[in-house]
Amino acid sequence: MKKFKIKPFDIFIFLILSFFALIFILPFLYAIYTSFKELKDVNSIVGLDRLSFDNYIMFFTNPLYMVPRWLWNSSLMTAIILAGNIIINTMAGYALAKLNFPGKNIVFFIVVATMMIPYHMILIPVYVNMARLGWLNTMLALTIPYLYQCIYVFLMRQFFMSVPNELLEAARIDGLTKAGAFFRIVMPLAKSGLITMIILSFTGTWNSFLIPSTMISRREMYVLIVGLNSVKNQFFERTNIIMAGVVLVTIPVIIMFMLFQKQYVEGVATSGIKG
Amino acid sequence: MKNAANRQEGILKRISDSDAFIGLLFVTPFVALWIVWFFIPLIESFLRSFQDANFITLETASFIGLDNYFTLFEDRDFFRAITNSLLLVAVAVPVQTLMALLFAMALNREIPGKGFFRTLYFLPYVTSPIAVATVFMILFTQGNFFSVLMSYLGFPDTTWTANLTLALPFVMILYVWQQVGFFMVIYLAGLQGIPRELYEACQVDGANALQKFLNVTVPVLRPVTSFVVTVGIIYAFQIFDQVAAISRYGQLGSPAGRTSTLISYFIQVGIREMEIGLGSASIVVFFLLILGVTMIQRRLLKERDA
Repeated sequence: MKKFKIKPFDIFIFLILSFFALIFILPFLYAIYTSFKELKDVNSIVGLDRLSFDNYIMFFTNPLYMVPRWLWNSSLMTAIILAGNIIINTMAGYALAKLNFPGKNIVFFIVVATMMIPYHMILIPVYVNMARLGWLNTMLALTIPYLYQCIYVFLMRQFFMSVPNELLEAARIDGLTKAGAFFRIVMPLAKSGLITMIILSFTGTWNSFLIPSTMISRREMYVLIVGLNSVKNQFFERTNIIMAGVVLVTIPVIIMFMLFQKQYVEGVATSGIKG
Repeated sequence: MKNAANRQEGILKRISDSDAFIGLLFVTPFVALWIVWFFIPLIESFLRSFQDANFITLETASFIGLDNYFTLFEDRDFFRAITNSLLLVAVAVPVQTLMALLFAMALNREIPGKGFFRTLYFLPYVTSPIAVATVFMILFTQGNFFSVLMSYLGFPDTTWTANLTLALPFVMILYVWQQVGFFMVIYLAGLQGIPRELYEACQVDGANALQKFLNVTVPVLRPVTSFVVTVGIIYAFQIFDQVAAISRYGQLGSPAGRTSTLISYFIQVGIREMEIGLGSASIVVFFLLILGVTMIQRRLLKERDA
């Protein structure tokens, strides 16, 4: 049997890592713990008997906050953008990887060039166009321009490049059309690429603040993050309620991360994509 | 007659199953959305930066040459925003790069619980910057945990977001806390790609740990570092959410503009005050900065390859 030799240096490193682990976890624990407290207990350490779900219940029942509505808006926005990205990015990525069509080089150039341009560049004209169309304060302003994303078109293209051509030829011999081969053979194979795109796009969309806070000014159309931010601005001294809001808005991404941690970390590490 | 119809059907079928047809069909939704919601707005952004446009006079706006750019560079608020952004980049990027590398090297060893550490360090990165900023704002109020902790390091125990000198460092701390896990993961992938033989060869030559680090790890990781630094700079120039979160009322960049950044200035002027011409000019300056950073990185990479 191999015996582990514990080096003093590794113990030192372990201690340093543990210290930073504390720094990284503490704000999470603080938020969770405080979210169950009463306001008068916010600055003291209290036992389990003084904790309750009251702040959460209040959030969902008090009409002042509209949390159920904001939660719905966030979910709808995320679902629409995800659906668009899944369809549009994969089709474009596949065409760029496996099909020869006129203008292919131009489309590929568009993808790569757009990846390097921050979307802040287009925010004012998009805002003006939304105002002209009367789309401000609607779901359209939150979703339509973001149904595709060049970085994921690129990611899917890279992914489809690795699908062997023999497989596509075999599909043709079996009588499938080119479109049929894509939907029946390639898409099911693309599961791991799709999962990477979905989790990155999900967190990016769910956490987005700049666009929802720019395009939406009516309270009932807020997404959860913007709503939480407005509650925080109004009731900053009510720490327990604000922390409940923080926990609410964070839970979905944490669950997503925990479920797909491996793909998430690999996706980030290999693509360097900011979600 | 029947033959002709068959042939026609055959041609149709062949076209609809050709690479050209399917390819164009598959990229059409993407290209259409891109033209309407990216390309045209992009051109518009550049054009507006040369116009005296605001939200009301939009249709009658006229071209005024470089006037918006002159106004920008005479605007003290813009000067402060650009200074703050440069400061954020100058502090956050070196700190997060070094910390990410050290964390990655530590987690690349046989340490008990390293998977747990990796998850924990990465966790802040997936959470919303607004949520993180909210928690930090409270933890950095006078008498609260982080504020007290920092007072042991010589900082005053005060409410950081209300303090004129500490508000910007607060944004830096918050930002690095959230980003470092992301860059750590990229470094970890890079470290795992270093072949063991390289270290073993060094061992044979009698190199110590520091020599191994300087002669193997650093040079092999150079492309990774180049990516981490470039992307780090570009992201740090885009800081906005954190600033929006701590500006609870009034103008973005509170207290008194001490945390304003390029993007928060752009939103304040271009969207909130609806000065479309001036706002567009500020975002073009931002774009040129980012472009410059990318160009320099390209140049550096090329020089080394040559």
